[in-house]
Amino acid sequence: MNIGTRKILDRSFTAIGFGSIIVMALALMVVVVPILTNGLGAVFFTGTVEHRKLLHEEFQRGDTQDLSSEIASSERYRAKAYAILSDFEAELERMEPEQQGKYSSKYAQVRTSLQSLLGPLPGDSPAMLTRNKYGQTRWEKAEEKLHSFLYESKWDNSNSDVMGKEYFVRRSLDFKGTSLAPLFPYVENNLENMLLPRFTVYWGFLTDSSVDSHFFGGIWPEIQGTFFLAMGAMLFAFPIGVIAAIYFTEYARPGFLNSMLRSANSTLAGVPSIVFGMFGLAFFINTLHVSESKSVLAGSLTLAIMILPTIIRAAEEAILSVPKTYREASLSLGSTKWNTILTVILPAALPGILTGGVISLGRAAGETAPIIFTAAVSVGSAIGLADIFSSPTPALSWNIYNLASEHEAAAEIRHVQYGMVLALVSIVLMLNLSAIVLRARISKKLKG
Amino acid sequence: MAAERSGESTRSNDFVLSARKRAAQKLITQFGEGVLFVLAAFVAIIVLFIFFFVARDAVPFFQIRGFSEFFTSSNWYPADDPAEFGAFAIIYGSAMVTLGSALIAVPMGVAAAICLSDILPFSIRQYAKPVIEMLAAIPSVAFGFFALVVLAPLMQNSGGALLMWVWWILVSPFLLLTVIVAADLLTNTIQDEKRRQQRYVTLVVLFGVIAIAVLLKVGAVLNGIQIITGTNALNVSIILSFMALPTIVSVSEDALQAVGRDIREGSYALGATRAETIVKTILPAASSGILAAVILGIMRALGETMVVWMASGNSSHVPEPWFNYLEAVRTLTATIAGDMGEADQVTGSARFHVLFAMGLLLLIISFISNLVSERIVVRQRKILTGQ
Repeated sequence: MNIGTRKILDRSFTAIGFGSIIVMALALMVVVVPILTNGLGAVFFTGTVEHRKLLHEEFQRGDTQDLSSEIASSERYRAKAYAILSDFEAELERMEPEQQGKYSSKYAQVRTSLQSLLGPLPGDSPAMLTRNKYGQTRWEKAEEKLHSFLYESKWDNSNSDVMGKEYFVRRSLDFKGTSLAPLFPYVENNLENMLLPRFTVYWGFLTDSSVDSHFFGGIWPEIQGTFFLAMGAMLFAFPIGVIAAIYFTEYARPGFLNSMLRSANSTLAGVPSIVFGMFGLAFFINTLHVSESKSVLAGSLTLAIMILPTIIRAAEEAILSVPKTYREASLSLGSTKWNTILTVILPAALPGILTGGVISLGRAAGETAPIIFTAAVSVGSAIGLADIFSSPTPALSWNIYNLASEHEAAAEIRHVQYGMVLALVSIVLMLNLSAIVLRARISKKLKG
Repeated sequence: MAAERSGESTRSNDFVLSARKRAAQKLITQFGEGVLFVLAAFVAIIVLFIFFFVARDAVPFFQIRGFSEFFTSSNWYPADDPAEFGAFAIIYGSAMVTLGSALIAVPMGVAAAICLSDILPFSIRQYAKPVIEMLAAIPSVAFGFFALVVLAPLMQNSGGALLMWVWWILVSPFLLLTVIVAADLLTNTIQDEKRRQQRYVTLVVLFGVIAIAVLLKVGAVLNGIQIITGTNALNVSIILSFMALPTIVSVSEDALQAVGRDIREGSYALGATRAETIVKTILPAASSGILAAVILGIMRALGETMVVWMASGNSSHVPEPWFNYLEAVRTLTATIAGDMGEADQVTGSARFHVLFAMGLLLLIISFISNLVSERIVVRQRKILTGQ
């Protein structure tokens, strides 16, 4: 090869390396940015009067006077829409049976659609589920609903080679010439007056419990459950892990037994997380009977054995990085080995050990598979500290899965899902960031 | 004062231990070490327990149904009567997404590791490492949510165009390189400088036209693809490769660092470029360590549950044709997670135990690959330190 080509190859090799690091950074961005922007939408959004009504009725929050004047002003605009509805219903009564049949099913669609936009209409029977008691609480959702109120969605399947295409037809065309026709332009033009959108900051998303399986309200039970599970896991794993690390670094003699123990450690680190879940079910619940069925305790124990190898490794590294001179100085002053470990080595290694602990805490908080069979439930209120031995808890990681994949109206509550993901990711990343900062400070200190 | 003086005198006696005291102290030390050992051995005990308890619930399945159905049949109807437990398609699905993620993550991860260890200056490396750690820290369920809610609809709506762009962006630089290198190699033997130049230019133009034609043709074919479902093996493979990347990068970077400076300097002294040094000298020396990294990364992808459960489509069949990554698949981990809820009310049934059989399979695979990668790392360290 001539030298020019070799140079080009060399440069492009460098470019590939840079490229893959950039791709990795981009991957991080691509995943984190939509989670961040959409997740913030759970707290900061344009709320409607329905949202304020909900807060007042479900959580007794907000100014009663302001609210009632707002409701009154929105009712004034709604009244005209309701009047059109009752006019049309009367007209429908007078129609020929044939025409009646033609209009009534279409009218039922219009009515349901308006119901989901504005809440219960006059003449409806009282709603059973909270989700039907209120109209749209978020303005962007209201705009979506307005679209499906104005347009009927149809599918074009004429070409069988390609997938069907969706297209929209104005509903008002169906009701041309009837007394319902003016309703569509009226709602389109006056929706703002009917719903009174206003920029809202809803911190309650983090501190409220959920209403009607996450249609409304916040995610406090999940946050608390995640906290209990992760803290419980740390409580078991941290002391054992640190002690094991002390043994490995200070006492263990090289030999068959020691290499076996080390192999066991790396095996444990490589066990798939779902297998931990199965083990937790088979051992802690079905064999040891630590609780009747799923419980926070069983989940914490399962998570604890999962994070144990990480803690041991981090603690080992931290202890090994304590300079030998510290140890020798302490021993030469006549203190015993155990005394040296307790008073000299551990304090010096503590920041490093804590770093490992913080990272493991993040891992325990984010892991889902081990708690599926051992601790997590999809619906439930926040549990008290006394219940951790007997009752399962909702947890962020599990409920993200549950809301996104199994919830009956997953597409309706995307903002809640995004909010949960953001809460979980920011807990975990915050823990990791603090670990990174902590480590940077240690290495600076060790360098002097 | 008197008390203090007497205290001093007793203190001075402390340094001379009586035989009994010495024995007691020795006993305490040994006891303490014993306690430490037991706690350290706790991990080993847990590993044994995991094997025992998973195997205990897995064995009844093989006693009831035997081995052949589980490994060879693709009929997975655990809820039917009579039930069928053919897990071949599920094992195949696991293998498929694992292989797919490895195909994406291994080249990228090794390239990034090389870049981190040999190319980037230290100041930039400091910022690149936290990015990798962050990627490793993001919970799997967040990746799964992203795959399900963002990536899957994107693939379904504009999958063909997306594939075309990825093809163009990723492959065009490589094709360009191939053209240049091929033209160079073919004109290498010509002695006359002027003729060589002419031949070189013609070949570059010729190959260039062919390359552009290939690029456009394949791009058009990819653009025409309609992805029926966004929750498919490709989606999962991409996300799993993000999750396997950090492991591959950090472990292979360690392996590359372990190759000493002297080897690098020897290669540079012989006139090799950096790329040649890395490809011909450092990579072979670090190859076993990189292999260990790849094994660990693949294990991460194979054992991952949430992403595949949420975004693989969970349909238990072998895709048609067998390499079609655009079809929905089902994996071992997702099956365990998904079916346990329905199965555990009837503890003792084959439906419950088959899940443990799958867990045992995963456990054995992870155990073996861990041992292998550990052996590899130990051996490499021995070779490099010259023992």
